[in-house]
Amino acid sequence: MRNLAEKWAVVPDWNTAVIGRPDLAIRSLQGLHQSYVSGDLAAWSDVSGIALQPVGAFGVASGDAYAVRVARDRLLVVSASPSAVAPGWHEGGFAVTTVSAGLQIFEVEGAWSEIVARATPLDPGATSASAAMAFAGIDAVVYRHGEMLRVHVDRGLATYFWTWAAAVIGNIVGAASKSQMETLESTG
Amino acid sequence: MQLFHCPFCGQRDETEFHFGGEAGNIRPDGADVTSERWASYLYLRDNPKGAVREVWVHMTCGEFFVMARDSVSHHVASTTSLDCAEHAQ
Repeated sequence: MRNLAEKWAVVPDWNTAVIGRPDLAIRSLQGLHQSYVSGDLAAWSDVSGIALQPVGAFGVASGDAYAVRVARDRLLVVSASPSAVAPGWHEGGFAVTTVSAGLQIFEVEGAWSEIVARATPLDPGATSASAAMAFAGIDAVVYRHGEMLRVHVDRGLATYFWTWAAAVIGNIVGAASKSQMETLESTG
Repeated sequence: MQLFHCPFCGQRDETEFHFGGEAGNIRPDGADVTSERWASYLYLRDNPKGAVREVWVHMTCGEFFVMARDSVSHHVASTTSLDCAEHAQ
């Protein structure tokens, strides 16, 4: 019987895998807790103690616990510690769904605008209410955290995204080398 | 490639959107609806040339809205959330 596993790329060890060059690196973030909150978001904010100031596409999040808007009535909440609000429906008019196992987080450090330019036609300098978008051909949640770019993708597509990122960074490096060679030839 | 304007998110790539049908094609209600009316609702489309009003959904945020656009030039005149509109008339 054929070994069909050879048809797919090997899943990297997400704890150690890094793609990068000196000024650009992508790695997977492990250990963060993620949950969707749907419904009355103000009521959830009162119960959870997390301010209802969600970031949108390319917005800047900060701290260990923050909310990202993914729809008019839905948030993706990311935190270093488990949510204090239990999963399920709440009488206040909102529902909490744990999705830590469903979404994988990637963090891009350095010149991430070059990655964005190849992943989406959107202007990273323009604001948008929702951080959910098509990114590298798949659904993703994209925003900034400090100086980094964070990208949440479906865990089943994480290896695809990794393969895409490796190819794109290879192209960026290749284009930079070619440009450098042409400059040297024209001046030499 | 074209950018559409989601009433909630703003400018987004056209691939994030899905066509939902002509605006104003309201589902018949009641037990005495004729087969001709059902056939009209299910199968018959105006498909006009020029200005059209259509229901679209932004798949990434789930926003349903009415888009007024030109079916020839593809120019988008406006987008209105169905939360705000009386109905997709």
